[in-house]
Amino acid sequence: MTFNHTDLYAALIHELKNDLGLLSITLDSIAPQGEATHDSAVDSARLLCQGVVDRLQQALRIYKAIDQPIRPSIDAWSPHDAVNEIRDRAASLSRGRIRVEAALAPEVPEIWFFDRDLVEMALINAIHNSLAYARSHLRIEASMLEGCLVLTVRDDSPGYPAHILAGARADSSGHTRQTGLGLQFSRLIAESHDNRGRRGELRLHNDQGAVFCLLLP
Amino acid sequence: MSLDWVGSDDASIDYSALRALVVEDYPGMRNALRLTLSNFGITKVQLVSSASEAIYHVKQKSYDFILCDFNLGDGRDGQQLLEELRHSNLITIETVFIMVTAESYYEKVVATAELAPDDYMIKPFSPELLRSRLESILLQKWAFRDVYRHFLAGDLEEAIVACDLLIRGKPRHLVDALRFKGELLVALGRFEEAEGLYQQVISLRAVPWARLGLARSLHHQKKDEAAEEVLRDVMEQAPEMVAAYDLLSDVCLAKKDAPAAQQALERGVAISARTVRRQQRLGEIAQNNGDLDTARAAFSNVLEKGLHSIFVTPSDFGNLCRVQLEQGDLQGVAKTLKENKNILQGSPEGQLVVAVAQGMAHVKAGNLDAAAKSVEAAAALRASGAHGDANLMLDLAGTCMVSGRLEEADSIVAEVARNAHDSESLLAKARKLYDESGRTEAGAAVLSKATSDVRKLNNEGVVLAQRGDFKSAVEKLLTACGEAPHNPRIMMNAVWVILKFIDQAGMDEQLIASARHHLNEAERQAPGHTRIAGLRLHLKEVENRFGIQRKGTA
Repeated sequence: MTFNHTDLYAALIHELKNDLGLLSITLDSIAPQGEATHDSAVDSARLLCQGVVDRLQQALRIYKAIDQPIRPSIDAWSPHDAVNEIRDRAASLSRGRIRVEAALAPEVPEIWFFDRDLVEMALINAIHNSLAYARSHLRIEASMLEGCLVLTVRDDSPGYPAHILAGARADSSGHTRQTGLGLQFSRLIAESHDNRGRRGELRLHNDQGAVFCLLLP
Repeated sequence: MSLDWVGSDDASIDYSALRALVVEDYPGMRNALRLTLSNFGITKVQLVSSASEAIYHVKQKSYDFILCDFNLGDGRDGQQLLEELRHSNLITIETVFIMVTAESYYEKVVATAELAPDDYMIKPFSPELLRSRLESILLQKWAFRDVYRHFLAGDLEEAIVACDLLIRGKPRHLVDALRFKGELLVALGRFEEAEGLYQQVISLRAVPWARLGLARSLHHQKKDEAAEEVLRDVMEQAPEMVAAYDLLSDVCLAKKDAPAAQQALERGVAISARTVRRQQRLGEIAQNNGDLDTARAAFSNVLEKGLHSIFVTPSDFGNLCRVQLEQGDLQGVAKTLKENKNILQGSPEGQLVVAVAQGMAHVKAGNLDAAAKSVEAAAALRASGAHGDANLMLDLAGTCMVSGRLEEADSIVAEVARNAHDSESLLAKARKLYDESGRTEAGAAVLSKATSDVRKLNNEGVVLAQRGDFKSAVEKLLTACGEAPHNPRIMMNAVWVILKFIDQAGMDEQLIASARHHLNEAERQAPGHTRIAGLRLHLKEVENRFGIQRKGTA
């Protein structure tokens, strides 16, 4: 059998993605032993592995979007489900190391129109950041602002560095680079949502920690 | 479903009662999925590695939840499995089907397909994600339980009433209920109401499926200019939505623009080549347009991509051979028949295709003795009940004419004409056969007799019915059904007058059984015809009125 470049590339990526998925499930099945060095090493491995899986999925999406804007497939979804889904994933990733809460403002409607997969991808970026930097807890919220659904991830970390808040492009050093990539992607996702001319937005600020807000029109 | 619901409306799910089937060809992933499911209490899990194994198990017992990988290695893929399960009624709308895919592109391609899964998961996914997706589908199915019950019983009107209850009382399910109601309205032929409904959804948000639904409702009301405008718009916003190209091709055909219809399907095929029915349609239209290369490529694709699809029939082999013959490629025909020998020999219909194609090839090669033998083989198969599609029968008639078997040819043409007395394209093709063999006048006589017999019986039946003499109308139309046993229009008329007769004169068990049979046959010949749903409804209503309880007549 012969491969052309595209086939080989696609097959390779998919195999890696599958294997990473399996690796992640395997790591999940290692029970904590109540021994600090062992448990924290396993924990970091799990987080890192899940981070790589999530990043790989985003990379595949971005790769497709290189020469064209991201086209969201908008449908009606429940913000309530989305928040709970992200809360469950965050709780499972943190394994009790960080307290995870979710809150839904009463004025949030039962359904809203957005691309579920893309929005969850953006939120997972924020979750990975918060899990890396938060001291003790993170909170996922849904609320309404300026006619938009706002999905928020807030934590008690030292907050975003000034250059990120200033909207600067990612620099090339260590953690900030990763954060920067994820945030850029989240911004693309937010801005790809459009309702009668009103575009979605990513808003970042610090308030007793980092606050990541996705505004969906 | 064997779900234990607690309370009347706030359902909580008992995962331990849920019967799950996991279809995944990769052993490592299979076991990981079992572990994942057991993590949230699903322990009744059957693991299988292929579509055929899945079908075997689904036939043995029913499952509440099927988790299926799209890519299953050799054999049927996940989508073909889903199509077969739904099409053969092995699972109903109540069974949860979640497709696992390697990339998000799949969703866009099938999102508005007739046979879409309940949801899809992009690999790899976390256990929490699967759990929350499953839970939300189960809760949705619970909310829709009355809608589904009426739908499965064939009571589409009642299903609409149940949708309206959700639309009014459950904001959470508003959009899903509108979507389902739109499909019911279209199925019932209530296109104007459907148009209004889709406009209502679009006023909430112009989601592609609503615009597609709007275009479909417009097309059925013969507002094809407006439909085309909506579709062009959808394509600009969501170019990967292949269902839009299929509908656009129907719209173009309605506007008598066959080249544009072909172009639309070609664009659809360029996005997703693997849908058998799109390729079949493309082949058909391209051949009518005289674009034989495109037709040949499409018909070849049907056989190649549809190797494991239930939508591929012996007719598809006949279609490819017909184009190859038209191109003068006798070797190609021989190759097609040889490569697919096992499949074709497996059924009388397949054997008939082989006999007819070989007969035509022999005629082309000037080998009339061999052609005569093929014609004899075909005659024997027909005598024992094998039936081919109209095009194949006309091919056979042509070969008969060349071999001097004129009477046989005339009787085959007459049969085709009786079964398709209102199909201009088939009648034109038959006329061409006679022109080519220099028997134009004889042909005109055969065709006019065949069609006028059926038309006469049909018209007399309809006139009698209009006068209120349903008894005589039933007699006329059942005679017509006997003459033209594959004519959908006649069969639908027969069903209609039988139901009117029973309305008037009371129940007649034998006639209602005949109505049921003819309606099924009409649907087989003309799937999705706009009159079918209305007749089904009427039939159901008559059955209910006279206390006949039948399950699954939908």
